[in-house]
Amino acid sequence: MSIIEAKDVKKWFGDFQALKGISMEIQEGEVLVVCGPSGSGKSTFIRCINRLEQHQEGSIIVDGIELTNDIKNIEAIRSEVGMVFQSFNLFPHLTVLQNITLAPIWVRKKSKSDSEVKAMELLERVGIPEQAHKFPGQLSGGQQQRVAIARALAMEPKIMLFDEPTSALDPEMIKEVLDVMKELAKSGMTMIVVTHEMGFAKEVADRVMLFDDGLMVEENTPNEFFDNPKNDRTKLFLSQIL
Amino acid sequence: MMNIDLKKQTRVIKENLFSSPVSTLLTFLTSYIMISFFRGMFGFATAPDKDWLSVLNNMQLYMVQAYPESDFIRIWICVGLGFIFSGLSVGLWETGEKTSLSKLCLTFSKIIFGIIFLTLIAPTTSVIVSTATGIREQVDVFSYAERIPLLSILLGLLVVFFLLSKINLNFNKSFLVSIYLFVPIVFLWLMKIPTIKLDAENQRVFPDPLMPIANSTKIPWTLIWMSFVAAYLIGIYFKNKKQFKTAVSISWVLLPLLIFSWIFKKPLIDLNELIRNDIPVFIGFLLVGVLTIYFINNKIVEKFYGYYLGLLVIVTLASLFLKVILLVKAGLLLLLLFSVIIPAVSTSAKGKRSLTIVWIVSLTTTAFLLEGGTSTTQIVVPGSSIFGGFSLTWLLAIFGTYVSFPLGVLLALGRNSSLPIIKGVCTGIIELVRSVPYITWLFFASVTMAVFLPDGVEFNLIVRVLIVTAFFSGAYFAENIRGGLQSIPKGQFEAADAIGMNTVQKTSLIVLPQALRAIVPTLVSSIITGFKDSSLVTIIGLFDFLTIGRMVIGNQSIPINFIGHDRENLLFIALVYWIFTFTLSRRSMKFEKRLGLGER
Ligand SMILES: Nc1ncnc2c1ncn2[C@@H]1O[C@H](COP(=O)(O)OP(=O)(O)OP(=O)(O)O)[C@@H](O)[C@H]1O
Ligand SMILES: [Mg+2]
Repeated sequence: MSIIEAKDVKKWFGDFQALKGISMEIQEGEVLVVCGPSGSGKSTFIRCINRLEQHQEGSIIVDGIELTNDIKNIEAIRSEVGMVFQSFNLFPHLTVLQNITLAPIWVRKKSKSDSEVKAMELLERVGIPEQAHKFPGQLSGGQQQRVAIARALAMEPKIMLFDEPTSALDPEMIKEVLDVMKELAKSGMTMIVVTHEMGFAKEVADRVMLFDDGLMVEENTPNEFFDNPKNDRTKLFLSQIL
Repeated sequence: MMNIDLKKQTRVIKENLFSSPVSTLLTFLTSYIMISFFRGMFGFATAPDKDWLSVLNNMQLYMVQAYPESDFIRIWICVGLGFIFSGLSVGLWETGEKTSLSKLCLTFSKIIFGIIFLTLIAPTTSVIVSTATGIREQVDVFSYAERIPLLSILLGLLVVFFLLSKINLNFNKSFLVSIYLFVPIVFLWLMKIPTIKLDAENQRVFPDPLMPIANSTKIPWTLIWMSFVAAYLIGIYFKNKKQFKTAVSISWVLLPLLIFSWIFKKPLIDLNELIRNDIPVFIGFLLVGVLTIYFINNKIVEKFYGYYLGLLVIVTLASLFLKVILLVKAGLLLLLLFSVIIPAVSTSAKGKRSLTIVWIVSLTTTAFLLEGGTSTTQIVVPGSSIFGGFSLTWLLAIFGTYVSFPLGVLLALGRNSSLPIIKGVCTGIIELVRSVPYITWLFFASVTMAVFLPDGVEFNLIVRVLIVTAFFSGAYFAENIRGGLQSIPKGQFEAADAIGMNTVQKTSLIVLPQALRAIVPTLVSSIITGFKDSSLVTIIGLFDFLTIGRMVIGNQSIPINFIGHDRENLLFIALVYWIFTFTLSRRSMKFEKRLGLGER
């Protein structure tokens, strides 16, 4: 059974149609990379999956729950789906540890001590346990993004969404974040990653998609996608980016 | 050690004050202006036609106006409670920062150096202007010979501090508060300040010029200081007890209410009625509330929640028109409010527990306010409403902030709400309150408000003033806070959404903490403004601190003639205002620095 199932998803911002009918499925444990030119609707689409944006037509079913306006459903889905943003969006007034334990304590209603033990494990996993008591403002971009990943993982999500997680980072820091994501992918997490890091796509993606102008124009295995694209639009995109 | 410090100091002075010709010039110019200003003030203060007894003699008037002396114990208890809880809080929330005796001695030495410098540059002559002829006349005031005793005392103190600084002693930085508070206590014991008293026929007499006012205040103040230190130590001891912190926080909320009624009312409690009516009603509400909290999420009960709510609405509405005791009406309203929010919060054991605490506290507070607040017996003060002077100023400032701040938060959140009714009401209140001058609101409080209150409810003038003040500064707070809310990036909301937080959690854990942090400076300046603006109440016949000095003392003729001596009093008043606002703004700067840790 597929864990996410989107059917003919359409979305308008006022008069402007950002998504023009996207259909896709993703199986448990799959890693999906989404790429495409700026403004093609990549962010809008993955933000629809955890209801940060509302789609107007079509349907999205996440882990058997259909996304509707029902608050209970939305909260249930949000605690199954972790999200990592381009601009980190850590809470600046809380320490790294507090950032990570916030949701387990308040949303999952776990005890503080359990959550802290778990948070330290996660920090260990993303490689920065020594930063636990600093504030986000005192960390480098790469470290902040790794904290953001740990924060999302602390909810023990079944699915992780990444919206251009490395595009606000210096080249040296990109690697440290990608390494964490690769490790995560290998551990069997279901992931949707919007990125222009083609190396990452080649190495860990199960499938690669190309969005253009609100439509999904190509869906392929990484090898085929890069070496033997079906669509002219893909060729053009690859020639610009590589 | 000393050497390095000295070198560093010299370098700092060089870099900051004499780095370029222009800055050197500016340094000299501002020093000249400041020194001239000081000399002018000093000359004014020491001129022989000034009578500083007019300030010193009237301390009691300044503090509490005509509050009956027999009831002073009430005020002392309130002040004492305030200090005890401050001490507890300082201890409980201390950061563990250390400081040393030598550092403290350095601070005191710097102050003494400053005083020595001022003593040396003080002028020897002053000018008096004859009121009859307008002729200016130079008089000698403070000859160099007269300065020698003072200077030798100061130098002696310097030596003492120098010797003390050799002792190697470290202590918690928070303990400094106790030390600083000790300084005025020492002065109370040393200074002799004569005072005016009322005799048996309520005539103002001047019993004994050398009878120190400190006699009546030094013992209470010393006791209060000791309880402060004791409370501080207790606070340190229980530092890691979370329940203790919660209890103290709750007490802070309740304390002002207690103080308030304690100062105003001498409740004549009718025990019979209390036992027959109020206590059963109170217990009944308490039980219903707790039961609702614990059983509302039960599967079977949940089904009837709608009916329960509907019934409650009808009963509450009906009670408003029926002749039942006030506690029933208020309790029903409160229960209704609670029943609406209960299902959302009481989903976990923790939520249930905190909701129960909130319920008990708010019900108790309401009951207490209704009982104490509507009691008709109150302290009788000859010829004025309760009291005036610094107590009134302080009360207006503290209560103004205490009530208006939460009110401002609620109004700001309401104005940002997505529910149109709430948004409309909050916007309406804010705009209405802000668009009418404060003075108009004061008149509203003094002459119009009684008409709006329900039958049988009567508020003292001061209470009415407090209500309008709370709304007035609440509206301004709300607008400040709204600015803070808008400064929070959209990403913060999205991040909170993405980890599954609900609206209440988002607001209280992510949005408000950041919004309030961002506007601490603006909030502090609003508080300071409120503190100073409280002197406007003179317009509706209340005697605040300023009015006492300007109007009351300036017209005193018995037992000593102080007519025309209001300038000294104004200077004194300005000094007191300055001390409080300056301390407040310094504290807030430190606070900002501590909060700023998270930012960059
Ligand atoms: N809140 C909004 N209001 C109006 N238009 C929007 C909004 N968010 C996105 N859009 C528009 O929708 C289109 C798709 O935006 P989206 O952010 O999904 O693009 P993207 O593929 O993520 O691009 P990028 O690579 O630049 O992040 C863009 O044309 C954008 O201008
Ligand atoms: Mg995007």
